[in-house]
Amino acid sequence: MSFREKTAWISFSSLSVIYASYFWLAFHQRSQGSGPQVAGLVGTIIALVIVQVVLNVAVAIIDPRDAKAPRDEREKLIDLRATRLPYAALAGSVTCACIFGAFNAPIIFKTNALLFLLVIAEILRSGCQIIQYRRTA
Amino acid sequence: MGTIRNEIRRLRFEHGEMTQQELAEKINLTRQTVNAIELGKYSPSLEAAFRIAAVFGKPLESVFHYSEEE
Repeated sequence: MSFREKTAWISFSSLSVIYASYFWLAFHQRSQGSGPQVAGLVGTIIALVIVQVVLNVAVAIIDPRDAKAPRDEREKLIDLRATRLPYAALAGSVTCACIFGAFNAPIIFKTNALLFLLVIAEILRSGCQIIQYRRTA
Repeated sequence: MGTIRNEIRRLRFEHGEMTQQELAEKINLTRQTVNAIELGKYSPSLEAAFRIAAVFGKPLESVFHYSEEE
């Protein structure tokens, strides 16, 4: 498994687990009528950065030669192909969110809705990368 | 849809049992990409194909073959 594929797995799994926890908590706090979850969001972002940095550094230490090598043509092509579908999904869903967001929703709900779409697009991108790496492995 | 077949594995062994990693370093690709090319799962760019052929000192058509049928 190449270094880029490992980083795609790290991105996919860390985004899925950490943001699933955040949105689960945000949903439950909202249903219980709690206030805005700005601290939760900041904590989630910090946790994500720490987890991704630690895992990427660990992978780079295990295989430093692979980590130092620049992206080659196949990896660049995989990146481009993996971005196409999530970009279309993100553009479409953000447009829908903006239309529905015009209704009288609280700002934290709108922020979470847009963040959710962004996270889904990023998870989809990592997933598409993994699929393409596996297909050509 | 045609397929591109290649003689890279045979040529590697004819050139002192060159490893995929050694070939990859000579042509600025990753070992995984060389493996994908060898297995016919990835078609290299024209530039990469020429670089591979140059490593073995062969013309392009001796390394890569295109066939119309699957």
